[in-house]
Amino acid sequence: MSDIAIKASEPIALKAQLNEDWLAVVIGLLVYAAALVSIGGIDLLGWAVTTSVYTDLAKALAPVAKAYAWLGGGGALFATYAALLAVLSAGVATLGADVRKFAVAFTVVFAIAYASWIAGSYAYIAAVTPADQQKFGIAWSLKLTNEGGFVVALLSGLVIANFFPRFAAWLREAIRPELYIKIAIVILGATVAVTAAGRLNLASSLLLRGAAAIVEAYLIYWAVIYYVARKWFGFSREWSVPLASGISICGVAAAIATGGAIRARPSVPVLVSSLVVVFAVVEVLILPFLAQTFLWQEPLVAGAWIGLAIKTDGAAVAGGGITESLVMAKAAAEGIRYQPGWIIATTTTVKIFIDIFIGIWAFILGYIWTNHIDRGPDRAKPIEIWQRFPKFILGFILVFAVSLWLAVGSTPEIAKALPSAAGEANVFRVIFFILTFFSIGVLSDFRKLWQQGFGKLAAVYFVSLFGFVIWVGLLISWLFFSGFKPPLAS
Amino acid sequence: MSQPDIKNDVGAMNAAEPLLPIEKKLIGWSLGLGIVFLIGLIALNHFVPITL
Repeated sequence: MSDIAIKASEPIALKAQLNEDWLAVVIGLLVYAAALVSIGGIDLLGWAVTTSVYTDLAKALAPVAKAYAWLGGGGALFATYAALLAVLSAGVATLGADVRKFAVAFTVVFAIAYASWIAGSYAYIAAVTPADQQKFGIAWSLKLTNEGGFVVALLSGLVIANFFPRFAAWLREAIRPELYIKIAIVILGATVAVTAAGRLNLASSLLLRGAAAIVEAYLIYWAVIYYVARKWFGFSREWSVPLASGISICGVAAAIATGGAIRARPSVPVLVSSLVVVFAVVEVLILPFLAQTFLWQEPLVAGAWIGLAIKTDGAAVAGGGITESLVMAKAAAEGIRYQPGWIIATTTTVKIFIDIFIGIWAFILGYIWTNHIDRGPDRAKPIEIWQRFPKFILGFILVFAVSLWLAVGSTPEIAKALPSAAGEANVFRVIFFILTFFSIGVLSDFRKLWQQGFGKLAAVYFVSLFGFVIWVGLLISWLFFSGFKPPLAS
Repeated sequence: MSQPDIKNDVGAMNAAEPLLPIEKKLIGWSLGLGIVFLIGLIALNHFVPITL
């Protein structure tokens, strides 16, 4: 059921919807606050499970903090499941859900979703660079990065939805993509802020170029792609906003944040995000080699171009890494040895500049949509605008602002401890994303999705990306970075 | 809580919705401001060379 339909139906449903927003903020802030406690020396979340890229399954799982290494991977996984079960059960109880049914279904949902994530981290699926492949002793991989685990989770859900419909119906109580997405977005604020702060030194020297990246992504790419989607391909607003954000800004996070901000149904940004991940893989396979061939004499142009063209963080940074090794190899063959790290740092910095405005852009779109587009039959009163405004975006901005302040405006000791704390919170962000992708899969009949226009979605992406985004990105990278070379290795 | 119906959600992809004036304004202002800012930044870039 859409939020628009909820709005038009009855106040009780609207109230429940608002409660879900606030519930997401409460759970997101709870995770963030628990992570921050570790700055004071008490590690409350170190037991949370993380998954590394692996070839030996026994080494795949581990607690995020070394202090909890005694738990082992299995213990960390169980602890994470138990904590999520407790917090989410208490949360859905406030929404009036059947807690017993939720607990049983969530157990199965978590098990399958996390198993999908583990499968997605298998080196043959996730390893990206030649160095990674060498490290794991493998000759090939799908190069999906570990974000490919999201696609595996979506596919797992699709298999259940399409081949085991009764099982999918049984899981229904724990299939809550809206709640999972919103919690993840609140937590995402910490990761984005810490990553941005971590590159402030280089970022400050690239400030002007970073501003150009922001202008390009948010004001130029977004407007053109939104227009193309709406006017040329006839997409609805609900689909055009996440699509434009996914293609122009920062893939998964932007599609989900802006989709949420305009109250798009949760499946919309998630399906767009899946498309973004797939296209990012194609770009990682192609663009670094083009950069090596045509831009090896302009290494920073190559790095910036990759950051502007590839639309998921993981794939962009991986693409920057591949580009760096290819460009440096080509330059070395010509007798020029650059210091390593500058190309990938340029890619990362450009990407970060783009990322940090996601919350602001989501806020602007949320304001425009609630005040001008999705305002119902009568002009919305200020209180109604507030009621309909997606509160979890405020949670994202709060977490981002506090994290940025702690990173750059507090004591050096706090700034040093913050990345580790944010890393622990990020473990939960990833898990909530996994739960979201799996949930959407369970709710999808993929054959019908394709019949009803998913191919058209891919067409918009293809036209925008290869007809516009990568060329404008190249032009702007050239205008701002040409002529500047990394320092030579001594 | 609301449960999305994916089939309907994807079906809504092609809803006939003409561009509203506010959307045109959003596109126009974004693009206009973007181009103006970009020209300004290019000019600034000329006078403030990159330092690594």
